[in-house]
Amino acid sequence: MKFGPTKRALSALVLAGLLLGACGGDNKDTAAAPGGECPATPDPATPLTLTFAAYSTPREVYGKIIPAFQTLWKEEHDDQQVIFQESYGGSTTQSQNVASGFPADIVALSLGPDVDAVADAGLITHDWEDAPDDGIVSTSLVVFDVREGNPQNIEDFDDLAGSVDVLTPDPASSGGARWNIVGAYGAALRGYAGGKKDDTAAAQELLKGIFTNVTVLDKTARDSIKNFESGNGDVAITYENEILTANDAGLPDEMVIPPSTVLIENPVAVVDENVDTHCVREVAEAFVEFLHTDEAKELYSTVGFLRPTDAADAQKGDGELFAPVEDLFTVEDLGGWDAINEDVFGETDGIFTKAFEEAQG
Amino acid sequence: MSEQGLVLEAPRAPRPWASPGEWWGGKWGLRGLALFYLGIMVALPLAAVVSRGLSGGLSAFADAITAPVALEALKLTIGLAIATTIINAFFGTLLAYVLVRYRFPGRNIFSALVDLPFAIPTLVTGVMLVALYGPNSPVGGFLKDHGIQIAFAWPGILLALLFVTLPFIVRTVQPVLLEMDWAEEEASYVLGANGWTTFWKVILPHLRAAITGGSLLAFARALSEFGAIVIIAGNLTGKTLTAPVYIFQLTSQFKYDEAAAVSTLLFGLSFVLVLITERLLNRTGAEVL
Amino acid sequence: MSTQPALAAGGARQKLLRWSLIGVSLLYVLILLLAPFAGIVWIALKEGFSAITDTLTRSDVTHAYYLTLIITVITVAVTTIFGVLTAWVLVRHRFFGRGFMNALVDLPFAVSPIIVGLMCVILFGRGGWFEPFFSSRGIQVIFALPSMILVTAFICIPFVIRGVAPILVELGTDEEEAAKTLGATPFKTFLRVTLPNIRWGLLYGIALSTARALGEVGAVLIVSGSIQGQTETATLYILRALEERQEAQGYLVALTLAAISVFILLGIEYLKNKRTKEQSA
Repeated sequence: MKFGPTKRALSALVLAGLLLGACGGDNKDTAAAPGGECPATPDPATPLTLTFAAYSTPREVYGKIIPAFQTLWKEEHDDQQVIFQESYGGSTTQSQNVASGFPADIVALSLGPDVDAVADAGLITHDWEDAPDDGIVSTSLVVFDVREGNPQNIEDFDDLAGSVDVLTPDPASSGGARWNIVGAYGAALRGYAGGKKDDTAAAQELLKGIFTNVTVLDKTARDSIKNFESGNGDVAITYENEILTANDAGLPDEMVIPPSTVLIENPVAVVDENVDTHCVREVAEAFVEFLHTDEAKELYSTVGFLRPTDAADAQKGDGELFAPVEDLFTVEDLGGWDAINEDVFGETDGIFTKAFEEAQG
Repeated sequence: MSEQGLVLEAPRAPRPWASPGEWWGGKWGLRGLALFYLGIMVALPLAAVVSRGLSGGLSAFADAITAPVALEALKLTIGLAIATTIINAFFGTLLAYVLVRYRFPGRNIFSALVDLPFAIPTLVTGVMLVALYGPNSPVGGFLKDHGIQIAFAWPGILLALLFVTLPFIVRTVQPVLLEMDWAEEEASYVLGANGWTTFWKVILPHLRAAITGGSLLAFARALSEFGAIVIIAGNLTGKTLTAPVYIFQLTSQFKYDEAAAVSTLLFGLSFVLVLITERLLNRTGAEVL
Repeated sequence: MSTQPALAAGGARQKLLRWSLIGVSLLYVLILLLAPFAGIVWIALKEGFSAITDTLTRSDVTHAYYLTLIITVITVAVTTIFGVLTAWVLVRHRFFGRGFMNALVDLPFAVSPIIVGLMCVILFGRGGWFEPFFSSRGIQVIFALPSMILVTAFICIPFVIRGVAPILVELGTDEEEAAKTLGATPFKTFLRVTLPNIRWGLLYGIALSTARALGEVGAVLIVSGSIQGQTETATLYILRALEERQEAQGYLVALTLAAISVFILLGIEYLKNKRTKEQSA
């Protein structure tokens, strides 16, 4: 073997290799050349790759919906393969990741404001709410996960302010956490959970009482329920579909639906900037469209255990899997997310912000 | 050596370079490359973290490390690290002694086992511990029924830390024991001392530096453990939330300034310990004998 | 030279002491190290062999192994080449700042992997020092392979250096000087004289490096985004499997990593013996 003046060259080569690895890492078959145009009609023999960023709980249902879509696309597009690269995490964390450069083509998040955060970063340029069902693909409820037999007799949100240990995720990273807070807040404002109609002070008291009992704020909703299942806490505030998924996996999680709770509405949107860079706009939009079809809705309700997107249908339940809810309210009933973000989560005067501070101190 | 009647050939014409380094355009060629490597890969990232941690000024730094959750995490981490170090200082020394001093069947396997924590991914360690002591396992279930919870509580973290730090102490003490002159020990026995006195008065003084060095390394290692703990602990503030996991939470929430502040504190502490150990054990490898 | 005569069987008390010490040590090792290993074997395999092949042939699992392999190979290659260079400079040269450089080598040992991940996002994430440079050229660092390699490499830096340096010290420069006087170029000297002498220490450092790179989780968790089929390593897959309540699959992959590590461990033991034999020769 010859070794000329190569040690330095060798090291340079290794460094170059590293950088090349950077470029070659992802699928560039169908991507546009930097600053160039996407190919007009992509060759069906080349597979398309979609990067999919979702919140932490719907893994199981997208595990079924995605293959269904892949089959459909194959049939309609000359056997063309669509490869999905999925990533699941706390809704707010995912949304901030995408805003920071995570190359997601589609975001399926827990709540509207997280999608808005991606839009605010300039990555979503269309009005994502101008879509079937207002952009919402699935719904669920804020409920309680209790120990077998409900030994603490937990019925409503104000029971959580009693002498129990409560688990709920961290609103800074988890979308589910914010839904939980809105659930408690709304219930109090509507006169349930020991609150009085439109009495924000009572709502704040309730939130303070609950969060005094919170022993840990997990990063995501899925982490929170798993923490509960491993023996910590007396009750976990979580999504209805999380408990049903756990039951389906054979776990003894027991659900209690409070008399008044919020309808969780989960949006999905195409991330314009990324789909144009990756040249996958057509298939991405087709996928989002697919999510609003009956086939997908069927999968959502039987596999992901997600309620129908229509609020009235959601409240009725279906007599089997989904129990009816006495008083089901939506974010709209409370003034919309803009009002809620201001009144409840506002940095200085938000009701939750103040309650949380009081609970800590 | 060359005077003893060796026939020397006529020396070849001297090469234009006097030392290997000079071939590279001066000693600073190689040196520069090495400095560049370490500078870019080690110094730069650490400087970035420290600067980010202090970016809000000293008051912001102090706030970040004295936040209630941060303090609890630091207390827990340091407390568990101390416990780990003390327990493994004892058992590690014992193991080293047994491995060096005694012959018994299976000794080689035993010795190899001690290095297992160096080879196994920490995440797998956590998974193993949950498999064995988790609430759904036979052992864990049995213990739980009797009120002892291992997984998702501090005993689980302690076990994980004991696992990953054991080799440090054994491997620093072993070489010293190997080098030791047994005459002293034998003399002690001959003079009628029992095993304990012999160990305490004769053997231990030789081992002090090694045990301390190994302990400091183990302590530094215990402070930074993440992979095993993220599986076996439960993130309960004050009870099972350690500093590295806390930093991870902050990072996931994009609170980089606070994460950097706590990180600076944590690695500063570890680094000081590692430096002291290097001094104690004289292991820099760059010192001329 | 050390003499280690087996302790003369000085009476029953000595024997009792000896065996009780051995017994206690064995018990500690058994409970602490071996039992958990047995636990994972049991759980991973109890689902049966068909479950094993099912899991190991899933595309996301095979990609995870593949990614782990790539990261490990590149990391070990880079840290080995630069590690030998650095060890050489540390031992053979004297210059101002050498002590500082020596300390830098030890730093990665003291840094928690989480902090390593944080370092990377601070440098390359949004608002990071180097982010504008890379994003304007369309190069993805965070949430992609380069950052995962960088963090793993950082963590593995000390192993080869600390494996080779002590041997270089022990060797001294006699043979190298001799080679030089006989007219060898520095490269030939390195190749024919130095390299063979340090090979066991070098391989030992490489083995430790490989084991560490294989098992990295904290840092890659932060920088990778855990994109299944793209930036998910074997260790990250295990984390996800546990999250998705697919314990058996997660345990199975964990078991395979454990098996690979045991294999590397045997290699480490072998190389360690070779190294001490050579050093005392």
